[in-house]
Amino acid sequence: MKNTSSSVEHEASTSKIGEDQIFYCRQRGISTEDAVGMIVNGFCKEVFRELPMEFAVEAQKLLGVSLEGSVG
Amino acid sequence: MSKTPILEIKDLHATAGGKEILRGINLTVYPGEVHAIMGPNGSGKSTLAQVIAGRDLYGVTSGEVLYEGDDLLTLAPEERAQRGIFLAFQYPVEIPGVSNLYFLKAALNAIRKRKGEPEVDAMDFLSLVRRKMALMEMEESLLNRAVNAGFSGGEKKRNEIFQMAVLEPRLAVLDETDSGLDIDALKIVSNGVNTLRGPDRAIVVVTHYQRLLNHIVPDYVHVLAQGRIVKSGGKSLALELEESGYAGIEELAEAVR
Repeated sequence: MKNTSSSVEHEASTSKIGEDQIFYCRQRGISTEDAVGMIVNGFCKEVFRELPMEFAVEAQKLLGVSLEGSVG
Repeated sequence: MSKTPILEIKDLHATAGGKEILRGINLTVYPGEVHAIMGPNGSGKSTLAQVIAGRDLYGVTSGEVLYEGDDLLTLAPEERAQRGIFLAFQYPVEIPGVSNLYFLKAALNAIRKRKGEPEVDAMDFLSLVRRKMALMEMEESLLNRAVNAGFSGGEKKRNEIFQMAVLEPRLAVLDETDSGLDIDALKIVSNGVNTLRGPDRAIVVVTHYQRLLNHIVPDYVHVLAQGRIVKSGGKSLALELEESGYAGIEELAEAVR
Protein backbone atom coordinates (compact mmCIF):
# COMPACT_ATOMS: atom_id res chain seq x y z
CA MET A 1 0.00 0.00 0.00
CA LYS A 2 2.81 2.36 0.76
CA ASN A 3 4.18 1.50 -2.66
CA THR A 4 0.93 2.57 -4.29
CA SER A 5 0.79 5.99 -2.66
CA SER A 6 4.35 6.77 -3.58
CA SER A 7 3.68 5.74 -7.15
CA VAL A 8 0.69 8.11 -7.22
CA GLU A 9 2.96 10.93 -6.08
CA HIS A 10 5.35 10.12 -8.89
CA GLU A 11 2.61 10.16 -11.50
CA ALA A 12 1.34 13.48 -10.23
CA SER A 13 4.73 15.14 -10.17
CA THR A 14 6.25 14.17 -13.48
CA SER A 15 5.22 13.22 -16.96
CA LYS A 16 8.70 11.96 -17.69
CA ILE A 17 7.91 8.71 -15.93
CA GLY A 18 5.00 8.23 -18.33
CA GLU A 19 7.35 8.86 -21.26
CA ASP A 20 9.87 6.35 -19.99
CA GLN A 21 7.14 3.77 -19.52
CA ILE A 22 5.78 4.33 -23.00
CA PHE A 23 9.22 4.00 -24.55
CA TYR A 24 9.82 0.81 -22.56
CA CYS A 25 6.62 -0.66 -23.99
CA ARG A 26 7.46 0.49 -27.52
CA GLN A 27 10.89 -1.07 -27.27
CA ARG A 28 9.10 -4.34 -26.57
CA GLY A 29 7.08 -4.01 -29.77
CA ILE A 30 3.94 -2.46 -28.28
CA SER A 31 2.50 0.54 -30.14
CA THR A 32 2.19 3.91 -28.39
CA GLU A 33 -1.60 3.62 -28.38
CA ASP A 34 -1.60 0.16 -26.83
CA ALA A 35 1.10 1.23 -24.39
CA VAL A 36 -0.83 4.24 -23.14
CA GLY A 37 -3.98 2.13 -22.73
CA MET A 38 -2.08 -0.51 -20.82
CA ILE A 39 -0.28 1.97 -18.56
CA VAL A 40 -3.39 4.00 -17.76
CA ASN A 41 -5.37 0.83 -17.13
CA GLY A 42 -2.68 -0.41 -14.79
CA PHE A 43 -2.44 2.90 -12.98
CA CYS A 44 -6.21 3.06 -12.47
CA LYS A 45 -6.27 -0.47 -11.11
CA GLU A 46 -3.67 0.43 -8.53
CA VAL A 47 -5.68 3.48 -7.49
CA PHE A 48 -8.96 1.56 -7.33
CA ARG A 49 -7.38 -0.99 -5.03
CA GLU A 50 -7.22 1.74 -2.42
CA LEU A 51 -10.91 2.59 -2.70
CA PRO A 52 -13.68 1.00 -0.65
CA MET A 53 -15.11 -1.93 -2.60
CA GLU A 54 -18.39 -0.31 -3.71
CA PHE A 55 -16.60 2.74 -5.15
CA ALA A 56 -13.99 0.59 -6.82
CA VAL A 57 -16.63 -1.45 -8.64
CA GLU A 58 -18.45 1.67 -9.87
CA ALA A 59 -15.24 3.40 -10.87
CA GLN A 60 -14.16 0.36 -12.85
CA LYS A 61 -17.47 0.30 -14.69
CA LEU A 62 -17.41 4.01 -15.42
CA LEU A 63 -13.90 4.04 -16.80
CA GLY A 64 -14.19 0.72 -18.57
CA VAL A 65 -11.06 -0.51 -16.87
CA SER A 66 -10.33 -3.98 -18.09
CA LEU A 67 -9.75 -6.80 -15.64
CA GLU A 68 -7.14 -8.36 -17.91
CA GLY A 69 -3.57 -8.30 -16.74
CA SER A 70 -4.81 -7.84 -13.21
CA VAL A 71 -2.15 -7.66 -10.54
CA GLY A 72 -2.35 -9.46 -7.22
CA MET B 1 30.89 -16.01 -48.45
CA SER B 2 29.30 -12.66 -47.85
CA LYS B 3 26.65 -12.18 -45.24
CA THR B 4 24.59 -9.07 -44.70
CA PRO B 5 25.60 -7.47 -41.42
CA ILE B 6 22.86 -7.46 -38.81
CA LEU B 7 23.91 -3.96 -37.84
CA GLU B 8 25.90 -1.41 -39.77
CA ILE B 9 26.56 2.02 -38.31
CA LYS B 10 28.24 4.56 -40.56
CA ASP B 11 29.59 7.85 -39.30
CA LEU B 12 26.75 8.31 -36.84
CA HIS B 13 26.40 11.69 -35.14
CA ALA B 14 23.76 12.29 -32.49
CA THR B 15 22.94 15.06 -30.08
CA ALA B 16 20.95 15.44 -26.89
CA GLY B 17 19.89 18.77 -25.45
CA GLY B 18 21.83 20.53 -28.17
CA LYS B 19 25.06 18.80 -27.22
CA GLU B 20 26.78 16.42 -29.62
CA ILE B 21 27.30 13.07 -27.92
CA LEU B 22 28.03 10.66 -30.76
CA ARG B 23 30.68 12.08 -33.05
CA GLY B 24 31.05 9.67 -35.89
CA ILE B 25 30.46 6.08 -34.82
CA ASN B 26 31.38 3.31 -37.24
CA LEU B 27 30.49 -0.25 -36.34
CA THR B 28 29.64 -3.41 -38.26
CA VAL B 29 28.18 -6.45 -36.55
CA TYR B 30 27.69 -9.72 -38.42
CA PRO B 31 25.33 -12.54 -37.45
CA GLY B 32 26.80 -14.78 -34.77
CA GLU B 33 29.01 -12.07 -33.30
CA VAL B 34 29.21 -10.60 -29.83
CA HIS B 35 30.63 -7.09 -29.64
CA ALA B 36 31.50 -5.26 -26.45
CA ILE B 37 31.41 -1.48 -26.24
CA MET B 38 33.43 -0.17 -23.34
CA GLY B 39 34.21 3.34 -22.28
CA PRO B 40 34.42 5.85 -19.47
CA ASN B 41 31.36 7.63 -18.13
CA GLY B 42 30.06 10.23 -20.54
CA SER B 43 31.63 8.52 -23.55
CA GLY B 44 28.26 7.98 -25.21
CA LYS B 45 27.85 4.24 -24.64
CA SER B 46 24.26 4.40 -23.40
CA THR B 47 23.40 7.02 -25.99
CA LEU B 48 24.52 4.63 -28.71
CA ALA B 49 22.34 1.87 -27.25
CA GLN B 50 19.32 4.15 -27.05
CA VAL B 51 19.79 5.56 -30.55
CA ILE B 52 19.73 2.00 -31.89
CA ALA B 53 16.49 1.45 -29.95
CA GLY B 54 15.02 4.67 -31.30
CA ARG B 55 14.74 6.90 -28.25
CA ASP B 56 13.74 10.30 -29.59
CA LEU B 57 15.50 12.20 -26.83
CA TYR B 58 18.51 11.84 -29.07
CA GLY B 59 18.58 13.55 -32.43
CA VAL B 60 20.58 11.90 -35.17
CA THR B 61 22.23 14.69 -37.10
CA SER B 62 24.10 12.66 -39.69
CA GLY B 63 25.19 9.17 -40.57
CA GLU B 64 23.46 5.92 -41.29
CA VAL B 65 22.28 2.91 -39.35
CA LEU B 66 21.35 -0.20 -41.32
CA TYR B 67 19.63 -3.18 -39.76
CA GLU B 68 19.81 -6.25 -41.99
CA GLY B 69 20.54 -3.91 -44.86
CA ASP B 70 17.51 -1.65 -44.27
CA ASP B 71 17.48 1.92 -43.00
CA LEU B 72 16.80 1.67 -39.26
CA LEU B 73 16.53 5.36 -38.46
CA THR B 74 13.20 5.77 -40.28
CA LEU B 75 11.58 3.06 -38.16
CA ALA B 76 9.58 3.71 -34.99
CA PRO B 77 10.83 2.00 -31.81
CA GLU B 78 8.07 -0.60 -31.88
CA GLU B 79 8.82 -1.40 -35.53
CA ARG B 80 12.46 -1.97 -34.62
CA ALA B 81 11.42 -4.25 -31.77
CA GLN B 82 8.99 -6.18 -33.95
CA ARG B 83 11.83 -6.77 -36.43
CA GLY B 84 13.90 -8.32 -33.65
CA ILE B 85 15.83 -5.57 -31.87
CA PHE B 86 15.88 -5.81 -28.09
CA LEU B 87 17.35 -3.30 -25.65
CA ALA B 88 18.09 -4.45 -22.11
CA PHE B 89 17.65 -1.12 -20.33
CA GLN B 90 20.17 0.34 -17.95
CA TYR B 91 17.34 1.61 -15.74
CA PRO B 92 14.22 -0.48 -16.39
CA VAL B 93 11.03 1.34 -15.42
CA GLU B 94 8.18 0.08 -13.30
CA ILE B 95 4.68 -0.21 -14.73
CA PRO B 96 2.20 -0.34 -11.83
CA GLY B 97 -0.86 -2.50 -12.29
CA VAL B 98 0.46 -4.31 -15.38
CA SER B 99 1.68 -7.81 -14.62
CA ASN B 100 4.98 -9.13 -15.99
CA LEU B 101 3.07 -11.98 -17.60
CA TYR B 102 0.54 -9.73 -19.32
CA PHE B 103 3.23 -7.31 -20.50
CA LEU B 104 5.43 -10.02 -21.94
CA LYS B 105 2.54 -11.72 -23.70
CA ALA B 106 1.56 -8.40 -25.29
CA ALA B 107 5.15 -7.94 -26.46
CA LEU B 108 5.43 -11.45 -27.88
CA ASN B 109 2.09 -11.13 -29.66
CA ALA B 110 3.10 -7.79 -31.19
CA ILE B 111 6.17 -9.48 -32.67
CA ARG B 112 4.16 -12.49 -33.83
CA LYS B 113 1.53 -10.25 -35.41
CA ARG B 114 4.14 -8.56 -37.56
CA LYS B 115 5.31 -11.96 -38.74
CA GLY B 116 1.74 -12.87 -39.61
CA GLU B 117 1.57 -15.47 -36.86
CA PRO B 118 -1.49 -15.92 -34.64
CA GLU B 119 -1.41 -14.92 -30.98
CA VAL B 120 0.53 -17.32 -28.83
CA ASP B 121 -1.46 -20.14 -27.28
CA ALA B 122 -1.95 -19.53 -23.54
CA MET B 123 -0.60 -22.91 -22.46
CA ASP B 124 2.39 -22.74 -24.80
CA PHE B 125 3.19 -19.27 -23.51
CA LEU B 126 3.00 -20.34 -19.89
CA SER B 127 5.31 -23.27 -20.44
CA LEU B 128 7.76 -21.09 -22.43
CA VAL B 129 7.77 -18.52 -19.68
CA ARG B 130 8.27 -21.15 -16.99
CA ARG B 131 11.31 -22.53 -18.81
CA LYS B 132 12.87 -19.08 -19.08
CA MET B 133 12.04 -18.23 -15.45
CA ALA B 134 13.90 -21.40 -14.44
CA LEU B 135 16.83 -20.38 -16.65
CA MET B 136 17.00 -17.00 -14.93
CA GLU B 137 16.40 -18.57 -11.50
CA MET B 138 13.40 -16.34 -10.92
CA GLU B 139 10.39 -17.29 -8.83
CA GLU B 140 7.18 -17.87 -10.74
CA SER B 141 5.26 -15.62 -8.37
CA LEU B 142 7.07 -12.67 -9.99
CA LEU B 143 5.00 -13.25 -13.13
CA ASN B 144 1.91 -11.90 -11.43
CA ARG B 145 3.65 -8.89 -9.91
CA ALA B 146 3.56 -5.61 -11.77
CA VAL B 147 6.42 -5.04 -14.21
CA ASN B 148 9.57 -4.37 -12.15
CA ALA B 149 7.43 -3.19 -9.23
CA GLY B 150 9.35 -3.51 -5.99
CA PHE B 151 12.22 -5.24 -7.82
CA SER B 152 15.73 -4.53 -6.64
CA GLY B 153 18.17 -3.17 -9.22
CA GLY B 154 19.61 -6.63 -9.73
CA GLU B 155 16.17 -8.22 -10.10
CA LYS B 156 15.24 -5.63 -12.72
CA LYS B 157 18.32 -6.52 -14.72
CA ARG B 158 17.50 -10.21 -14.45
CA ASN B 159 13.97 -9.42 -15.60
CA GLU B 160 15.40 -7.70 -18.68
CA ILE B 161 17.33 -10.82 -19.66
CA PHE B 162 14.32 -13.00 -18.85
CA GLN B 163 12.24 -10.93 -21.27
CA MET B 164 15.01 -11.17 -23.83
CA ALA B 165 15.08 -14.95 -23.45
CA VAL B 166 11.33 -15.12 -24.14
CA LEU B 167 11.34 -12.71 -27.08
CA GLU B 168 14.43 -14.22 -28.74
CA PRO B 169 15.61 -11.10 -30.58
CA ARG B 170 17.89 -11.08 -33.59
CA LEU B 171 19.90 -8.16 -32.21
CA ALA B 172 20.20 -7.76 -28.46
CA VAL B 173 21.76 -4.58 -27.08
CA LEU B 174 22.61 -4.77 -23.40
CA ASP B 175 23.00 -1.36 -21.79
CA GLU B 176 25.21 -1.74 -18.72
CA THR B 177 23.33 -4.86 -17.73
CA ASP B 178 26.09 -5.68 -15.24
CA SER B 179 25.84 -2.49 -13.19
CA GLY B 180 24.57 -3.17 -9.69
CA LEU B 181 24.89 -6.95 -9.94
CA ASP B 182 26.64 -9.13 -7.41
CA ILE B 183 28.68 -12.05 -8.72
CA ASP B 184 25.85 -14.58 -8.43
CA ALA B 185 23.37 -12.41 -10.32
CA LEU B 186 26.09 -11.64 -12.87
CA LYS B 187 26.57 -15.35 -13.56
CA ILE B 188 22.84 -15.97 -13.94
CA VAL B 189 22.42 -12.99 -16.26
CA SER B 190 25.48 -13.97 -18.29
CA ASN B 191 24.24 -17.52 -18.61
CA GLY B 192 20.92 -16.21 -19.88
CA VAL B 193 22.67 -14.05 -22.47
CA ASN B 194 25.00 -16.84 -23.55
CA THR B 195 22.01 -19.11 -24.12
CA LEU B 196 20.84 -16.64 -26.73
CA ARG B 197 24.10 -16.76 -28.69
CA GLY B 198 23.74 -18.34 -32.09
CA PRO B 199 24.76 -18.10 -35.75
CA ASP B 200 21.72 -16.01 -36.68
CA ARG B 201 21.91 -13.54 -33.80
CA ALA B 202 24.11 -10.70 -32.70
CA ILE B 203 24.70 -9.22 -29.28
CA VAL B 204 26.13 -5.82 -28.42
CA VAL B 205 27.22 -5.55 -24.79
CA VAL B 206 27.69 -2.04 -23.44
CA THR B 207 29.69 -2.09 -20.25
CA HIS B 208 32.01 0.01 -18.16
CA TYR B 209 33.76 -2.88 -16.48
CA GLN B 210 35.70 -5.79 -17.85
CA ARG B 211 34.28 -8.24 -15.30
CA LEU B 212 31.13 -9.02 -17.29
CA LEU B 213 33.24 -9.98 -20.29
CA ASN B 214 34.78 -12.87 -18.38
CA HIS B 215 31.31 -14.40 -18.48
CA ILE B 216 29.98 -13.08 -21.79
CA VAL B 217 33.13 -13.46 -23.85
CA PRO B 218 33.08 -11.05 -26.79
CA ASP B 219 34.43 -11.57 -30.28
CA TYR B 220 35.30 -7.89 -30.58
CA VAL B 221 35.86 -5.10 -28.10
CA HIS B 222 35.48 -1.43 -29.02
CA VAL B 223 36.46 1.42 -26.79
CA LEU B 224 34.28 4.51 -26.92
CA ALA B 225 35.54 7.84 -25.72
CA GLN B 226 34.05 11.28 -26.31
CA GLY B 227 31.56 9.95 -28.79
CA ARG B 228 33.93 7.99 -31.02
CA ILE B 229 35.29 4.47 -31.13
CA VAL B 230 38.99 5.11 -30.57
CA LYS B 231 40.24 1.57 -30.39
CA SER B 232 39.02 -1.87 -31.43
CA GLY B 233 40.40 -5.30 -30.82
CA GLY B 234 39.69 -8.80 -29.63
CA LYS B 235 38.70 -9.85 -26.15
CA SER B 236 42.21 -9.24 -24.83
CA LEU B 237 41.63 -5.51 -25.30
CA ALA B 238 39.19 -5.62 -22.39
CA LEU B 239 41.86 -7.12 -20.15
CA GLU B 240 44.40 -4.50 -21.25
CA LEU B 241 41.89 -1.80 -20.35
CA GLU B 242 41.29 -3.27 -16.97
CA GLU B 243 44.98 -3.11 -16.21
CA SER B 244 45.64 0.33 -17.60
CA GLY B 245 42.29 1.98 -16.87
CA TYR B 246 40.61 4.55 -19.10
CA ALA B 247 43.20 7.30 -18.66
CA GLY B 248 45.18 6.31 -21.73
CA ILE B 249 41.96 6.13 -23.73
CA GLU B 250 40.93 9.66 -22.79
CA GLU B 251 44.30 10.89 -24.03
CA LEU B 252 43.76 9.02 -27.27
CA ALA B 253 40.33 10.60 -27.62
CA GLU B 254 41.76 14.07 -27.12
CA ALA B 255 44.43 13.40 -29.72
CA VAL B 256 41.90 12.49 -32.43
CA ARG B 257 39.49 15.36 -31.76
